[in-house]
Amino acid sequence: MLLACATCARAESTAIPHGTLELVAENQWIAAGHDFNLGLHFELESGWHIYWVNPGDSGEPPRVKWQLPEGVIAGALQWPTPRRLGTPSIVDFGYQDAVTLIAPMHAQVNLVLGQPAGIAAQVKVLVCREMCIPGSAQLSLVLAVKSELSAPEARTRNLFIAARKSMPRTAPTNWKFTLDEEKGAFVLTANVGHEITQAAFFPLAESQISNAAAQKLAPTAAGFRLTLQKSDQLLKPIERLKGVLVLSGGQSYLIDVRVGKTGTAKS
Amino acid sequence: MKRLMLYPILIALLLCTASKLFSAAKVGEAAPEFTATASDGKSYRLSDYRGKYVVLEWHNNGCPYVGKHYKSGNMQRLQKEWTGRGVAWFTILSSAPGQQGYVTASEENEYVRKMQAAPTAALLDPSGQVGHLYDAKTSPQMVVINPQGVVIYDGAIDDKPTTDLEDVPGATNYVSLALEQAMAGKQVATTTTRPYGCSVKYADSGH
Repeated sequence: MLLACATCARAESTAIPHGTLELVAENQWIAAGHDFNLGLHFELESGWHIYWVNPGDSGEPPRVKWQLPEGVIAGALQWPTPRRLGTPSIVDFGYQDAVTLIAPMHAQVNLVLGQPAGIAAQVKVLVCREMCIPGSAQLSLVLAVKSELSAPEARTRNLFIAARKSMPRTAPTNWKFTLDEEKGAFVLTANVGHEITQAAFFPLAESQISNAAAQKLAPTAAGFRLTLQKSDQLLKPIERLKGVLVLSGGQSYLIDVRVGKTGTAKS
Repeated sequence: MKRLMLYPILIALLLCTASKLFSAAKVGEAAPEFTATASDGKSYRLSDYRGKYVVLEWHNNGCPYVGKHYKSGNMQRLQKEWTGRGVAWFTILSSAPGQQGYVTASEENEYVRKMQAAPTAALLDPSGQVGHLYDAKTSPQMVVINPQGVVIYDGAIDDKPTTDLEDVPGATNYVSLALEQAMAGKQVATTTTRPYGCSVKYADSGH
């Protein structure tokens, strides 16, 4: 049965290599002057993966080109916390099974009321297991434009709830991080008020730290010290190290730490 | 008795770790020496090419990033241009047996013939020894070595890390740039980049 979908928050999924991709909307209808969210929902066959915004040693992240009606502006994609993939010597960052990338959108005040908003996305994605297959998909959906934003749409609600849960959150303001340089490494010191026995760091930018090198964790009474080996491709000093910190229990935080002066001990 | 038996294993482990830590190729340092058998059946030793520029190209014929450069004819064009200018060009295949991209000598010869590729030789590295020596992460990762045997470039083939054939014409080719600059007696401007592509399928690659 083919359903004609005049305005709907969930288009049919499109095939990509070893998986499907679907453009979903959190709200059934949108309104001028309001933010709303779209999502790119990937489902992958067992064993296959796609990549995080920093793919790590190989691969590349999915890329999207939006075709939007006048009055709709796309923000940057939001990336859930990735997992470490690959082998001992080549480490990638990405997602297996299923993932939703949230695309924040803004409807400007000039968006015409009553005229359905057609949204299209051209997505390029590399899907890998032992081998990699590039795929592309042309996705679209139509959203009604009303005077008020609709409540989250029931069918897509769970996808967005799950996506937000898997997103790194801002670290509590009373947590303190410092980053010192040692020969060939960065040392991330965290003061969070209690001992941390498990921590992994995912760098947002490529070529800052070695992806494959073991991250040496030294728990302290107030948190931890994590030694991150520098990347061989890092030729110039960096001012900041941004990334996602995953702690015991899988809770993840977005951190942005200024690189301190060599040898200074901060706490 | 049992305890004694452990020592060889421990020593082997230590050697493994040591070789990983200390001998990986680095720009500005001596290119690690290797000898490898090529698909033409001959043995090639890097130090025999002292006095020439040498290009190392990590290859996997099933990788779409490699495919971009072969289907567009870009890699063959580079091979012909630079070997024509006296450069030794080694295509290196580091996929382990059973892994994606592993080929026999005759399969590689057939590929080279069909694609009209023109490397000096295609080196078969099923043990991954050469790949690990150079810490090759991706295909097509590229390394350029100067006539003194020093690594002068290590990284991506160009500045467009995609699988799109249409990205080839507008790309800045780092290999050609390094060779041009070095041959003109200039400092190589870009010596290190993130090598893009598919991961090299060493024996430790999972399924």
